[in-house]
Order: sequence, then structure tokens, then C-alpha cells
Amino acid sequence: MKKIFKAILLAFAMVMPAMGQTLQVSGVVTESKTKETLPGVNVFVEGTTAGTITDINGKYSISVSDENAVLVFSFVGMETVKEKINGRTVINVEMSPTTESLKEVMVVAYGVATKEAYTGAADVVNKEVIEDRPVTSFQKALQGTTTGLQVTTSSGQPGAGSTVRIRGIGSLSASSAPLYVLDGVPMSGSLSDLNPNDIESITVLKDAAAASLYGSRAANGVIIVTTKQGKKGTTQISFSAQTGLSSLVSKGYRLMNSTEIYEHSWQGLYNSALLDGYTIDEATQYAHDNVKDVVGFNPFEIDDPLDDTGTVKPGTKVKTNTDWRDEVYHRGLVQDYNLGVSGGSESTKVYFSLAYFDDSGTTLGSNFTRYSGKLNVSHKVNSFLTAGMNNQFSYSITNAPPGGSGFANPVRSAEVINAATPVYNGDGTYNWENTAVFDFNPVGLAEMDIYRYKTAWGLINPWLEIKILKDLSFKTNAAFDYSNTDNLNYYNPEHGNGAGVNGRSTMSRSINMSWNVSNLFFYKKQFGVSNVDVIIGQESHGEQYSPLTAGVTDFSIPGQPDLIWGAQPQAPSSSTSEWNMISYLGQAKYSYEGRYYASASIRADGSSRFGANNKYGVFYSVGASWVMTKESWLSDINWLNNLKLRASYGTSGNNNIGNYASLGLYAGGANYGGYPGITPVQLPYPDLSWEKITSLNVGVEFNIFKRLSGDAEYYNRKSDALLFSQLLSAGKGFGSIMTNLGAMVNSGFEGSLNYDAVKTKDWDYSLGFNISLNRNEILDLNTDEIRSGTKLLEPGGDVYQFYLREWAGVNPENGKPMWFTNSQSDDDENNEEPDSAYDDPLGSGRLVTSEYADAERVRLGSALPKFFGGFNNFLSYKNFDLSFYFYFSVGGKVYNYDYATNMHDGTNPGYNLAADALRAWTPNNKYTDVPQYVANNQNYSNQLSSRFLEDASYLRLKNISLSYNLPASLINRVKMKALKVYVSAENIWTVTGYHGFDPEVAISGTTHNSIPGVKVVSFGIKVDL
Amino acid sequence: MTKHILKIRVVLMLMIAGMLTSCGDDFLNPKPTTALEDEDVFTSLTNAKAAMVGAYDQLSSYYFDGLYLPIMSDLTGEDVMLNSTNNYNWFVAVYQLNVLPNYQYASNPWSLGYKIIYDANKIIEGAPKLPDATDEEINQLVAEAKVMRAYVMLKMVEVFAPAYAEDPEAPGILLVTSPMEYGAPDVGRTPVKDIYVQIVSDLLYAEDVLGTDNEPGFFGKRAAQALLARAYLDMQDWENARDKAKLAYEGMELMSVNDMLGGFYRSNSETIFSLAYTPEDNNIYLSIPSFYWPVNGYSSIRANDKFVELYADNDFRSYLFTKVPSIDPDNYLILKFQHNQSVGNAERISIRASEMYLIEAECEAELGNDKNAQDALFAIQKRSIPGVGRPTETGEELINKILLERRKELFGEGFRWNDIKRRNLPLVREGDHWVKLDIQPGSDDYYRLTFPIPQRELDANKALTESDQNKGY
Repeated sequence: MKKIFKAILLAFAMVMPAMGQTLQVSGVVTESKTKETLPGVNVFVEGTTAGTITDINGKYSISVSDENAVLVFSFVGMETVKEKINGRTVINVEMSPTTESLKEVMVVAYGVATKEAYTGAADVVNKEVIEDRPVTSFQKALQGTTTGLQVTTSSGQPGAGSTVRIRGIGSLSASSAPLYVLDGVPMSGSLSDLNPNDIESITVLKDAAAASLYGSRAANGVIIVTTKQGKKGTTQISFSAQTGLSSLVSKGYRLMNSTEIYEHSWQGLYNSALLDGYTIDEATQYAHDNVKDVVGFNPFEIDDPLDDTGTVKPGTKVKTNTDWRDEVYHRGLVQDYNLGVSGGSESTKVYFSLAYFDDSGTTLGSNFTRYSGKLNVSHKVNSFLTAGMNNQFSYSITNAPPGGSGFANPVRSAEVINAATPVYNGDGTYNWENTAVFDFNPVGLAEMDIYRYKTAWGLINPWLEIKILKDLSFKTNAAFDYSNTDNLNYYNPEHGNGAGVNGRSTMSRSINMSWNVSNLFFYKKQFGVSNVDVIIGQESHGEQYSPLTAGVTDFSIPGQPDLIWGAQPQAPSSSTSEWNMISYLGQAKYSYEGRYYASASIRADGSSRFGANNKYGVFYSVGASWVMTKESWLSDINWLNNLKLRASYGTSGNNNIGNYASLGLYAGGANYGGYPGITPVQLPYPDLSWEKITSLNVGVEFNIFKRLSGDAEYYNRKSDALLFSQLLSAGKGFGSIMTNLGAMVNSGFEGSLNYDAVKTKDWDYSLGFNISLNRNEILDLNTDEIRSGTKLLEPGGDVYQFYLREWAGVNPENGKPMWFTNSQSDDDENNEEPDSAYDDPLGSGRLVTSEYADAERVRLGSALPKFFGGFNNFLSYKNFDLSFYFYFSVGGKVYNYDYATNMHDGTNPGYNLAADALRAWTPNNKYTDVPQYVANNQNYSNQLSSRFLEDASYLRLKNISLSYNLPASLINRVKMKALKVYVSAENIWTVTGYHGFDPEVAISGTTHNSIPGVKVVSFGIKVDL
Repeated sequence: MTKHILKIRVVLMLMIAGMLTSCGDDFLNPKPTTALEDEDVFTSLTNAKAAMVGAYDQLSSYYFDGLYLPIMSDLTGEDVMLNSTNNYNWFVAVYQLNVLPNYQYASNPWSLGYKIIYDANKIIEGAPKLPDATDEEINQLVAEAKVMRAYVMLKMVEVFAPAYAEDPEAPGILLVTSPMEYGAPDVGRTPVKDIYVQIVSDLLYAEDVLGTDNEPGFFGKRAAQALLARAYLDMQDWENARDKAKLAYEGMELMSVNDMLGGFYRSNSETIFSLAYTPEDNNIYLSIPSFYWPVNGYSSIRANDKFVELYADNDFRSYLFTKVPSIDPDNYLILKFQHNQSVGNAERISIRASEMYLIEAECEAELGNDKNAQDALFAIQKRSIPGVGRPTETGEELINKILLERRKELFGEGFRWNDIKRRNLPLVREGDHWVKLDIQPGSDDYYRLTFPIPQRELDANKALTESDQNKGY
């Protein structure tokens, strides 16, 4: 099998020069420090494909046709060694680990750089972090790995995206997402279509010196994704398989069981009757008469299960006690299979992969499947021409039920349908009756409705490199990115959303197409102790999005979603939206004696999105660094191995301002009297511009005792000309216009430390820590403030500042809710205390009110964490590797809408309640934080207030993984190069005071009945042939 | 060998240089496919006509003439009432005469009114540049747009400013007669009388240009004349109002009683202008029949008992009121405005000849021509009241009778509010109203008959300050 594979690949790799055999060279390869032999080292003759690998004892033997040839020894994690044969027949080699990370080459904007020479703030995350994780997209694996990068995943829907922010929130209305660049090509598709196992490295560009070369798209940072390329030498075939079990990240708060909800509902009716002036007897009777209607079902086997205190009579048997969460959530199965082939000769290199990923999801009707393939080829045509192509294809199918407060959201149904409601009727059919989401039994709907999204994505990226002169080369890089989505929403004719129209099916197909061409000249020259490195070139880019939607209602038979089955067509629609950009860019780097480094970049972007008066934007950066340890006066401090200072300043832009936002437009559909008409829908705004970011960064990097390395950074990113809606006088025809008016600043500190604690023959232990602090502040809004729902936007505040009434607890005398009056607040200009104010009976010394409307709102902190970061550990003993890392996020607040819904205090009688509601005030339980439960409560106790504002700080064991590399002596016998088995757990342990499933919610800090986060325990095996 | 390589390099470089050549102007200015750029609208008559249709569509929006203005004009009066329950709180503040500057009942008609004026101004500005239209076609478009502009301005000045008759110098509304750029200086409030000067001038132009062969859903000569009659009536220019009213109905036959009682949902022999909703294109629940017709909608408008009592027993129009205990045990239901087969599908008759007769009658009475006034009033009365005698009242008594006839004939069609204002009448609500009022002219509360300028406008408009708010708010 292996031989066949090899044969195919070699044929594929084109040229195989014939060789004469004149000399047999052999030897042993050992590790320089431990003197241990190294098996599996690639040994080949430079300039040929002739090669071998070392055996279990580190021995190799190779035939060489030229006694002056050079042998190359390479091994992952080791410095490559080259030995000129010079007629020797025995060559023993020592290899040392590539510990000196400074020399590491990293992929940066339009090229590569060594960490030592780099003047910007950038971090590299290598494949080891991303590979073999049971996640659909790589961003999820980035959380906590590098400073300044905030990754928030608010939904456990398989395949759902994450919110990624680099150094804070840069925009008010436009997107604050970073730019993703895949092998030099700006990405426009969905990141979950990219197989994380194809990724070689990820570079996060944070400051101006690092990112400004991307001009009008760099404002929110850039994430460069580099995929794996073939390596010369023996063809490596690797296969990995991983299976994981997923489940909700936590159990969440407990909900009431059927007995509790029945008794509690009875109590609510009884309380409401008493408050309405009924006598105790009348109230008891009223509660008995109505409790079944309120709950919807009597979950007991007898007709009158409650006694006159509202307690279940002893011995009563429970007939129904549905745990709706059990019905909606289940254990998920994650499967991930990857086949990778990598190899090549001196002239041709190939990387090829096929993968299958499937996540069956934890929630009814939600899952994700992806098939993906990749082929990266490069070929050196002759001495000056190299050509290559990176190809990518994937096809994914997502089933995702709707979220939010719609009745069809199964997550919400699981929380609001009470436990007395059965899933099935006695005859086994679905029960569609309930008191919360009538006709929306989530179990039935999952079977009958369809929410399916299919995406096919292809990316072709050919490139050509020409060496024009010794120091001058040219590269052209073209890309064509095409994705096609095929969405189906089907509501069955009988129940739920489709019942009113006898079924509804909506299909949409959209084409998302983008292309990118860059042409760059590279000039690199050394003048004595100076190095000059110049890039100059041009780039153009275009994107087109064309959706087509059609739908029908009124189905003749159920279960057939195709449009042909519906009798009533709905208005179809189609559109195309397009934008284009042309850019010119240049960058120069200079270094002197490896001590002083300077860089400057400039880019001009002309974009169709910009207004006629602002077609071109120019962006620049300057940066400098100083390696102090290279100075003579520091070089004799032995323990100080590296000390480097750097600073950068520059500008960039955010062009996510909409495709036609600057144009005056008339739209169709303004029909009248049977005639089609058009009407103005947008005022022209020819001054519209990109959002402008100016950023300053200073940083220090150090390494002491060759063991402890780290860096610290301070940055200040000022966003100006932020897209924001300006109110207009109605006389201008429109109430508002999007203009560049807002201003905001993000400033912060970041630091990271890495310590190689132990490094011996058998043991290796290293640990790292990183932390990021960011402060966001609005500087200008063009209006004093904007109040919305839970938030207040105002100059001086941050973008996610909470503004709510302040909960004061429950009045022990009457069980009514209390809020602090806060009459001095600027919520209302009047500073007089309301008539309803009274002294806080709980003794705070402040005035409170039980009238919701009389309490004023106050600023109550932000959804943004004060700081976040990661703590990682890597431990290896002989063939065992153990790695684990924690992620923490501290100080962010969350308004928990979900919990508020389950603590409704009687506002929605019949909706299920959290078990916490059992603590409700009663005359015998006066000191509590839950108000009296009253059916049809109208005291606003569960309305927006700090009662449901929670601290969402948490510490999470993000990933822990234990792997074992089988000894080479064992696996070589079965003709394998390496075999690794591992167990890995994702999100397995969380410490938090937050109520609910997962403290990691939407970045804006509100919950929306999203599918809870998941934890996954997986087992995997990886074989190298 | 070296030469050969050099050659290849040169060729390659040339290829690449080709790729570098800059792209055309279209590259940085792609056209949207779902919208037309402003500059592409007034390039052909077809497009310009579509823009005119679009302006009518805006006018027919429920925020303006489709629902808000007509329904609010009767709710700010004595004759109709609003259910306090099962009405989702619609228009309650209007019925209570309690509309504040931040209420949508003031801000939505204000914003939409100026949006329609913007649409009309774009046509008035753009039509003369049409390359493929004759002068006649251009004038027709401009004239229709001017009627549109005048129609909207007349409604807005009646709602948002004090009555002309009370104080023509009072601040009126914003006078906007050409499309303004976003950065242009804001305009403040123009005195009421200057607003009327603009309205009259627009309409006189249109009267001259337009013919009478239009569909009733579009403005023609008669509409221009009828609106002139309304404007002159507000200005108490009785002679001009009478003349234009007579011109507007001249040659029209009054609708039959059957049409009157038949649901009022499609244009008939006396319709001068109606909003032409179609089964596919109407405001469904946010429509006049949805609120007025006793079933199939909000169905929350009722007739006041004292108003119903004003009708003579043999007045056919009294059939427009009924009590159906199963729907409402207490109040009179109104059967004037019916759905046409589907909810909301009903033309809204906005100008009709009967109103013109009543304007004629009022003007003649004011001018002392009692006989002519009696004739015009009789023309309306005799249609609905079999055997009624020709009116014999004169002077003030006759004027009051004509004003009463306006209530009986035109209720629900959006006139009462302005009739109270322009004649400086008291607003007295009695009988089964759940918000009873007695607002006498000159009293402190009379300001409530004028809507506030929306707060949003005061905030956004740099030419206005809080002191530009209407009196009382």
C-alpha cells in the first residue's frame, strides 16, 4: 500500500533524475545536548531527491553519486545541518534544537521576516496549537494563545463563527473584525470552510508597522494564515483520525420540575387573588380552579393533586416530569479524519490533503459536516523562474435552527416550556400544546422543519516568481475565490411557523466571488554591515455578492420542501453587490549591524466604496527597533541574552462602510395604483471616507538566562472618522445620513512570559503566560449620548457600557421589588426624589422605590473584560507529551436575558422557572432576593435592571491533551515512521460565578438564547508513513 | 544561454507590465444593481415617470395620507371616538389631544411629509433636463409634482402651525422648494402666510398645465383647483375659494346615495383624487377600513352618540351607524369605510365634489350671497335626505348649518380637525366620549389643536432651537 502511494506521488512529482552509485555514506545522528540518537531524521543530497531517513538507532546509509555533494539533515524542531561529503564515508552529525526563536522566520505582510529584525508588533501561532483540536475553525483555537487577541464564541452551533477583535473595538457602526489573509490573498469567505489541519502558521499583525501595508483594510489588525507546503525529501504521508464526544459546557442553573412549577403556579394564583382582595378561602378556591389552565397540564395522576396550602398531597404520583433540556440537548459526536501527503524534490514540492469533519452537535437540528481538499504545488522551472499554485476546496453542510426569541428556537423552548408539559401525547404523537410557545414543540419541529445551509468554496491561487537580478525579484500572485451557498428554510404546513400559511419554503442561492492580483518587486541587498530590503508593487481586488431568493407557501403535502410543491409563489428577488479596490504599495527596511532596524511603509488605496471626493486613501507607517544586547556595553552581561526595544507609528483604515454608501440612490418597489415606481432611498454623500486609525506602539522584548523570554507592549489606537449616523433636518428628505463623525480610542498593555523550566534528556517542561488589558473610550459621537436597551453610548464611556436601573433587592415587608431611586442620575434632568421613594429597609441608607418607572438608570460597568489572557504548559517525558492551557477573562459584565426569562416572578405565568425562583418572598421567607410570585405580575420585577447583570469573569481549562509517541523500534517493524495516540479535552473545566451555561457570551454582553458552548473529549491517532 | 534567459526575462516583464496598467473609471465606480443612482433617474421620461409614481406611493404611506393624517384629523374632533381597549394603543394620545414632541404621531408624518416633498422637488428639478421628453411631457411632470408638493405642504401647515386665519405671521413649517444636499444650511420655520403663497403658486401653475383626463388616483386639473379652494378657504379668501371650488366640480355628477352607503372604497363619479390602493399593494391593517369597519382589522373607531343624534331620522347617512351588541354593546359602529374583498384593499377617496359644494356654500354665505349658499348646501342635502326642503337659513345661522353639514357629510374623511382650527371653533366632547373635553378658543389648552414640531427636528435642525417649538409644548 505504502509503495503504491509512493509510486503515484513520485510520478506526480514529475522529474526523477537518474543517478549513478559511486559512494556509500553512513553515520549516526544524535541530539547535541543529550547525545541521544535521533530516529526519523531526513537525510538527503542537496539538489537531488535522493534521500533516506535515520532508523530507530539514528543510523542512516545513503548512496551518493558525487563525492563533493552536500548532505542535508533536517528534523522538525532542529536546526538543519549541512555536511559536505569531501569523500568521507562515515559522517556522524549532532543536531541541536531550534531554541533561538529570534532567528525564526515568520510570515508577515507581503513577505517574511525574522523576529529579530522585525520592527512591528506581531505574534505567530504555530500549527501545533491548531492541529488536532475538535473545532470547526481555527479562530476558536486561538483564544488565549497570544496577547491583544480577543476571541469570543457565543454559540455552540457547530460551524458558527467567532468574534475576533485585535486590541479592542475599533468601530461604532462598521465591522471591527480583522482582515484575514490566506497565503497572501485577502479572504472573503467563511472561516469555517478552512480546514484547521491545513494551517502551517498564523501570524497576528497588531500595530501599524506590522499591518499598515494592508492600508484601508488594516484598521482592526490582520491575521495572516499560511497553509502547509510540500518539503523536499522523502514523501511523508500522514493520516490522523479523531473522535470526540461533545456536551454542554456546563449544566446551567436548574429549572423547576413539574411538581415545583405546579405548586409555584398555584401559589402565584393564590397570591394574586389575595392582592385583589379575595378572602383566603376564595383565593384558595381561585387557585385550585385555575392552576391547571395556567400550567397547561396537570402532571399528576389524580385530578386534584394539591391541598389547600398548594402542596402536593402525600402519595400523589407524578405522571409527567419532562426535562425539556434533555429533549433538546444530546451528546454530540465529533469526527475528524485527515490525510496529508507532503514531499518533493529540489525543484518540485507538493502538499496535498483530504479531510472530513463532522460534528453532530449538541442541540436538536444543529450539526455541521465539511469535506475539504487542498493541493499546493510549487515548481522551480529554471534558475530564475518558480511557479506554483495553491488550491483549496471545501463543501460544508450546516443545519442550524433559528436563535433569538423566536418560537422556533429550540434553545429557548427548552428553557420556557414547563416540565408539566409532555413531549408526546398518550398515543405517541407529538403534543403541540404548551403555555409558552404554542404549536412549537421543539422535538416535533426538529423533525419537520429544515434550516439547512450548504456552502461550496473553491480558491485557486497561482503565483509566479522571477529572479530578475541577484538582488531583485518579482512575484505575481493571483487568486480567484468562489463560494456558492445554497440555503433552505422549510416550515412544515401543520405546526409552528408554517401553520398559518399551510407551509412555507424559502430557497436562496448566492454566489460570493472575489479576485485579487498582486504584483510586487523585491529588492534585497547587503552593503557591508547594512541590509536593505525593499518591496514595491501594486494590488487590485474585487468582490461580488449575488443572492437569488424564491419561496412558496401553501403545500399540498407535508415533508416536501422543494418549491414545486407549493401553490402560492412569493415575490422572488435577486441582486448583485460589488466593490473594487486598486492599490499601490511600498515598504523599505534598513538594518545596521543587526543592532538598529528601521522600517517605513506606504500604501494608497482607491476604493469604489469611498465617496467621489475621497476616492484614494494614503496610509503609512514608520517603525524602528534597537537590539541593545548587540551593543558592546551590554554584550558582556552573560545572563542577558536579548534585549530589544521597538516603536512604531502609523495609519490605517477600515473600509467596511458598505458598498454603495456614498451614492444618492433610487430604489424600485415604490409601486402605486398598479404602476411600478421608484423612490429615493439614500442621499448622496460624496465625502464618505474610510474610517481612520492612527496607532502608536512601543514594546520591549527580552531573554534572560536563555530560559526566560518575554515581551511587553503599550499601544494607543485612535479611531477617527468613524462611520456614524448623523441626524438630519427632515427638510433634507431623510432623517439621517451615515457620515464619518465618531471618534474612539483603544489603549492598553500586553505582556507575555515564556519559561523553559526543565530541559533534560527525558524531561522537558515549559510554561507561558500572557495577559492583555485594553481600555476603550468613545471620544466623539456628534451627539451627547445614545441610549439603547441596556447600553449608553457617550463620549468618555466605552462602546459596551451598561446603563440600567439599579436593583435594591426585595422589600422584606411586602415582597415587592425595590430599585434605588438614583434621582441624582442624569437619566432624568430632574433631581427630585419621586413620591414613591422610601428608605431602604435593607439598610443601605439609600432611597429606594418599588415603582420601576420612578427609578433612574445609572452606569453599571462594561461588557468588555478588564483583562484577559492565557496560561499554557507543556510537559514532556520520554515519549509522553502533556500540554494544557487556561484562558481567563476578568471584569466583563453580562446582562442575562435568559435568566431573567426564567425568573419572571409571574409575568409570564405558565413559562418555566429557574429553581432559584423557589426562594420567592413569602411571609415566612422575608429576607430573600426573589420578589413574591404573583400570577400576571405587573410590578416589572424582571424588567431590565442590575438584578440580572452579572460578572462574567471566568477561568477555563481551554485545552488539555496527553499524547504518546510509540517507540520507533515498535512502529518501524510495521513500516511506520511515527505513530501518536492522544486524548484531548476542550473546555473541560470552568470556574465562574456566572448563572447559566457559559460565561462566554456575545462580545456586547447580552444573552440571546444561543446554543450553549460545548466541551469535547476526544481521542485521536496519527500515523506517519 | 545568457542572452536567451535575458530575452525570456524581458518578455515576462512586459507581460507583467501589462497587468499593471491601471483599470478604467468604471472599476472604482461600479453601479448598484438594485438601485438607480440619482444621476441615472432623470435621463429618460420612463424613469422620471416611475419616480412620479414613487412619489404617489410615498404619499399613500400609512404614515401620511394613507392613514395617519385622515384618522388623526377626525380623532382630533368631536364626532368619532377610539376604543380604549383592544386597540394596541394606536392613536390614543391623539384622541386624548396629548401628542408630545417625541411622539411618533408627530414625527412620522413630519418626516414622511418632507420625504414626499423631497421626491417632488427632485422631479421638479430633474424633469426639465429630460433629453427625450417634449415640453408638454416635462410640464405635465412638473405640474403633477407641484400639486404633490402643495398637497403635502397644505396638510402639514394645517397640522404643525397655527391656523392662517388666527395668525398668518405665525411660524409655519420649513419651506423647502428644491432638493437640499446633506451639508446645505438648514432652513427654519417660514411664516404661515409665505407657506400659503408657495402652495397657491404651485397650484396655479399646475391648474394651468394639467388636463382633466387623469385617472382619479393621480393629480389633474380638478385636483389643483380643489386644493386651491381648500387653501383659499384656510386663508378666508372666500371669493377665490368659491371660484376654484366651482371649477373643480364643474361638469361632475355627484355620487349616488348607493355609492355613499356602498362602502366608500372605490372612486366614483364625483371623485377628484383618491389614493389608488390595489389588492396587491395596500397598507392592509394600517388602513382606514381596518380601523373604521367593525370587523376584519383593528376595528376600533366608534361614532359618538351625540354626533349620531344630529342626523335626521330619514337621513340615509344615518344608516352609516349601527349597534351590534356582539361586537360592541355600548357604542355606535361606523359602516362608512369598507374593505374591498381583502383587508386594507380600499381606495381612499381624498378629494370629492361634495366637499367643493360645501366650500362653495360656506364662501357664498360668508360673502353674503345666501341664496347661492343655500343652493349649494341643498345640492348635498337633497341627495341624502329624501324630501328635505331647500335651506332657508341666512347669515350666521346658515354658516353654522353648512359647517354642520360638513361634519355629517365628510366625517371620517379627515376634515374636522382643520375645520375647528380654521374657524377658531371650540372643541367640546360630550356624550359617550371617554375623554371629554371643553377647549374654548383663546383658552390655555387651545394650543393642543396644533401638533408640536418633532423633538428630533429641533435637535437635528441647526436653524431651530427649543424656542421655535409651538406654543404650549
